[in-house]
Amino acid sequence: MNEEEARTQAAEDAKDGIKRRDFLQLMAGSFAALAAGGCQFKKPAEKIVPALVAPEEGVPGQAAWYATTCGACPAACGALAKVRDGRPIKLEGNPEHPVSRGGLCARGQGSLLDLYDSQRYASPRLSGAATDWDTADLEVIRALERARASGKAVRLLSPAWASPSARAELARLRARFPSLRHVVYDEPSLQASVSAHRLTHGRAALPSYHLEKAKAIVSFDADFLGTWGSPVQFTKDWAARRKPDAKLDLMSWHAQFEARMSPTGANADLRVPVKPSERYGTIVELGRLVAQKTGWSGAVPPSAPTSVSRSILLQTAAALVAERRRAVVLCGATDVAAQAAANWINHMLGAYESIADLERPAAFASGEAGAFDALLAELDRGEVAVLIVRGCNPASDHPRAADFRKAAVKAGLVVSLAGRPDETAKLARVVLPEHHYLESWADHDAYGGVLSLTQPTVSPLRGTRGALETLARWDGRRETDYELIRSHWRSTVFPRQKKARSFETFWEDAVRLGALTIGGGAGKAAFQPSALSTLKAPLPSGSGFEFVAYQGVALGDGRQANNPWLQELPDPVTKTTWGNFASFSPADAKSLGLVEGRVVKLDAGGVSVELPAHVQPGQAPGTVVAALGYGRSGIGVMAGNLPVVKMLPVGFEPASGADVMPLFRAPAVTVTPLPRFERLAKTQTYDHLVDPLMGERRDHVRETVLADFLLNPRAGNPEEVKAHSLWKEHEYTGPKWGMAIDLNSCTGCSACVLSCNLENNVPVVGKSEIAKSRDMHWLRLDRYYSGPPDSADGSPDVSFQPMLCQHCGNAPCETVCPVLATVHSTEGLNMQVYNRCVGTRYCANNCPYKVRRFNWFDYAHADLSANLALNPDVTVRSRGVMEKCSFCVQRIYTAKADAKVEGRVMRDGDVKPACAQSCPSEAIVFGDLNDPKSKVARLAESGRSYRVLSELGVQPSVHYLTKVRNKRV
Amino acid sequence: MIKLLLLSALFSHAAEAPTSLQKDAALFQAKCAKCHTIGRGDRVGPDLKGLSERREKAWIIGFITRTGFYLDNDAEAKKLLAKFNGVRMEDTGLSEAQAAALLSYLDAASKGPVGPEEAPEPEAEDPAAKVRMPAEGRGAWLPGIAAGLVCLALAVGVWQLGFPLSAAVLLVLAAGAGYWSLGGRRHHRLLGDQQGYAPAQPIDYSHATHAGKLKIDCLYCHYGAARSDVAGVPPASVCMGCHNAVRKTAGATEPSAEIAKLVAAWDTRLSSAPAAIEWNRIHDLPDFVHFSHRAHVANDIRCQECHGPVQDMARVRQASSLSMGWCVNCHRQEKSVAPSHWKRTGGPLDCAACHW
Repeated sequence: MNEEEARTQAAEDAKDGIKRRDFLQLMAGSFAALAAGGCQFKKPAEKIVPALVAPEEGVPGQAAWYATTCGACPAACGALAKVRDGRPIKLEGNPEHPVSRGGLCARGQGSLLDLYDSQRYASPRLSGAATDWDTADLEVIRALERARASGKAVRLLSPAWASPSARAELARLRARFPSLRHVVYDEPSLQASVSAHRLTHGRAALPSYHLEKAKAIVSFDADFLGTWGSPVQFTKDWAARRKPDAKLDLMSWHAQFEARMSPTGANADLRVPVKPSERYGTIVELGRLVAQKTGWSGAVPPSAPTSVSRSILLQTAAALVAERRRAVVLCGATDVAAQAAANWINHMLGAYESIADLERPAAFASGEAGAFDALLAELDRGEVAVLIVRGCNPASDHPRAADFRKAAVKAGLVVSLAGRPDETAKLARVVLPEHHYLESWADHDAYGGVLSLTQPTVSPLRGTRGALETLARWDGRRETDYELIRSHWRSTVFPRQKKARSFETFWEDAVRLGALTIGGGAGKAAFQPSALSTLKAPLPSGSGFEFVAYQGVALGDGRQANNPWLQELPDPVTKTTWGNFASFSPADAKSLGLVEGRVVKLDAGGVSVELPAHVQPGQAPGTVVAALGYGRSGIGVMAGNLPVVKMLPVGFEPASGADVMPLFRAPAVTVTPLPRFERLAKTQTYDHLVDPLMGERRDHVRETVLADFLLNPRAGNPEEVKAHSLWKEHEYTGPKWGMAIDLNSCTGCSACVLSCNLENNVPVVGKSEIAKSRDMHWLRLDRYYSGPPDSADGSPDVSFQPMLCQHCGNAPCETVCPVLATVHSTEGLNMQVYNRCVGTRYCANNCPYKVRRFNWFDYAHADLSANLALNPDVTVRSRGVMEKCSFCVQRIYTAKADAKVEGRVMRDGDVKPACAQSCPSEAIVFGDLNDPKSKVARLAESGRSYRVLSELGVQPSVHYLTKVRNKRV
Repeated sequence: MIKLLLLSALFSHAAEAPTSLQKDAALFQAKCAKCHTIGRGDRVGPDLKGLSERREKAWIIGFITRTGFYLDNDAEAKKLLAKFNGVRMEDTGLSEAQAAALLSYLDAASKGPVGPEEAPEPEAEDPAAKVRMPAEGRGAWLPGIAAGLVCLALAVGVWQLGFPLSAAVLLVLAAGAGYWSLGGRRHHRLLGDQQGYAPAQPIDYSHATHAGKLKIDCLYCHYGAARSDVAGVPPASVCMGCHNAVRKTAGATEPSAEIAKLVAAWDTRLSSAPAAIEWNRIHDLPDFVHFSHRAHVANDIRCQECHGPVQDMARVRQASSLSMGWCVNCHRQEKSVAPSHWKRTGGPLDCAACHW
């Protein structure tokens, strides 16, 4: 069935509901089943089919963990893949990895489902039809040979490919085909930073930032806790200085100047809304103040206007200079001038000597602004004989995607290595699909001197092939990825280290650990002040709104747009799922007469996009903000605009939203409200901590400022009032499981939500169900605004609060269950027994925290092969059953069995629920509250500890730690 | 390959190995214990107790190091081959020094208990005798009788008040309660109770032979039980460890047809379409129950306590009801190890111990 037919078919199905023929078939089937069953209520007979040859590693039924490297984004964090009976079913951060050190972001966790995507290519393709590898290779090799003969250009287009083996392979291929050049393009702001460092330091590289050393961080639009650069690593480092009870002078100070309200801005101590057009001016103005205080005598970049008040800039400059060598400026601007100005401030602050390491630069971005434009020009002139695209999707994820689509036609042959259909693969004559990273061998430079390895965790599920192997084929060699990487490591990496004497031990260690540090660096790069005077202030924007496109925490650049887990992951700040929207500041919304859901048309000289509106407190006035990665059509049921997928009993519409990439470089857009509404599927509809009716602040999120906290550890956190109880207290003769959540280090990154989904088989329900508040996430991340809404800087205070079942000692849900399906355990767990539940929903109605979830339907996976990702340790719940967080009871009992088998007693830290394991900032701590030495018991006793709604006398087991803002007032 | 690894592991640690006797015991376990015992009777091959008293040392070492040559040419060896159903011993790949070490271990072991192989012989007592098979479903019959009588009385009352239909319903209830308490409950079961289920299997494998007569440890084949939540049916490679050589049942002259089925499946292992041996599952808990074998094995629960006297079963049947009441009866009694600050002992009785 081609796509057009599928669409018509789907549309028809949507119209009819269940079709008559389907209904009859179904009925016939059920009668047959009844007759065959003979009304005997016997268990269905099951088979056990053991392997013929015992698998080399592991025992059936027991998980094996493999160290590998996450391939969801170029940051390449260390990951551990949990493999049960041959199937990877969970990804977790690798605590031994030198860069990411445990924790894995939501997109990384979600990438597991991409492995089981049934739409991945099953074979190579030639002119849109399936073919075999030899034919496809021959087509490419012939084109390459012709290019060599004619001297025409061969171009490989990819994001930074920081693989030593791939570099070696490309060098060999270039020796054979001298006209081959590697064109790299990365996320635009990282590219701009690379180019700016060429300008200011003579080295086209992105420094590796070590934020754990930073006591003052000023970021301009860099969402480094969300999606910018290497967010897991940055969050880990940033959070190390957000735990105020550890040491007196530990807390860092973090200021964010940005247009949109990013998760990073939401966590900043000072947040200032700045329009993109004023960003350069603001950076230079701040730089001038820093220059005054540090006695800078060199060149100064030309200034530009800014509306940021002088007092804020003075305060920021003073904070930066006070922490010289321990202060850093991060910049997420896409223009090189702003990046270069940020480099200048970093140089004056001495950041390049401590925090920003240019000697061992980060490897996840190396492309330079302009390289892509040059390629487009070459394509336009018809000079490119062969264009190979790997790991990127320029027909959709580049600001000039439309130009690329036009120009790519002029290339002699377009070859795509995409593993699943995307816009670029559709343009390509030859598609040589690449493995999913969980099936492949690969190596990565994390940053100078740290290498990490990807090892396969499952044999390839589809007819795909490793990228290196493909390159080697074109060079006339038939080596596998494994052989290529091993031989490269034997000849190049092994001699660079001294610890291991034989290559085999060295290799086995590297594979087992997933990463290794071998040292080495590029040497110093000196700052060149003369570059500053050549900077050009960006032109002021035209009339109209300034457009800001961003990568969201859930979908990023959209490469995982067909992933239902990520589509349903609420955006940390707006709490919206399944689709993007145009965001406005409250002032602009008022003047345009916009309310949430009103569809607006964004026009930018010929291109227009229609999106529902959203009103965002703290956004810079005069800007429109929208997320990238949505509205991709024809690449899959989740991402595209196909009308309906008939897998669920209810309408399950795919993500709405629109692709805003065409507006990326628009200098200004005009906004026209349309007479239409489109409901946003939000998981949280109340925003303010201050009760709008009573005008008083509700205290389930407690916060204070650092100055007060240092004087009084209980600042902002009044003692709990002991409520009288009608109930007899439970006695916990064994452990009493409990949790402590540090609101100060929680950044809202939502990794815990995704991790919980994977671990506990939490279903995806779709947009219409979310809109009915039927979301199923066991763990939700609440986001609250507080502080005066019209404060001087125009930005509210934001707090994030992970909210999950509190496992109350006197649980209100337990007393109302008529069938005892939810009862209290002797270890303090509030248990939910699915096989007892009859679905009265009394418990959910009586839960003060609203954390119980009801299965209104059998929420099947729309893509049935996604069932392979289910965790066999957790029951898949059926329709009519209540469910909720279990504190990962399966992990508790696994840890108990582990201890028993090893003949020891349990230790603190043996049990790590999925949320706590995945948290990059280590905000969640779990353990036995009865053990006075446990980490969680000590946190529960600390001055910052409080329990939400404890005044109800429900005795929750989850302790929250007061948020401490480092405000300088 | 695995053997090689094992051997190399053995030798690479030779320098810091605890004692040479332990090392030799490990060698015996790895190389010989599949087919030979020391003082526990003949199995696939002869009992090796007191071997050096029966034969010359040079002959033994020669036989161990050059097994194939001896079996083909040596008269004594040929006699042994005939006695043990023509099952040829595999080449051991051991050096003369190793064979000598092995022999000295055999001598030592023949004299008294050495290591785990010579643990006190449990043979004397019947394993089934130790097994506690908790009874259940035999609850009080008194409430049933009482309920029946109450229903009967009510029926009479309601009849007198002039509601014959209600009276009829109550009468039926009374009859039902009476039947249940006077024995009906022994004939009827809970839905899904499969006690006694013993389906025929694709290969007529006998636990009575392997576990009962040959006394192969349960965990030798079901190795998952100690390490995994799932005990597992052994892969064919485990069977072929012995059946590579053993093709006949004891005393038979013709190769066994049942073993031939196993071998036929095994021979397809490298083909493009390997044959699967599809065993019929007997012990099957509902999908909302999670049971961990390793947790129970680690708590020294004997296999027979739940699975019944498997060593006597020619065809395995489900010996216990596997109902929740049956599980809980045992959990009420068990003791388990716990950290010092935990006051309680005993198996968990929480719902979430099994249902999650």
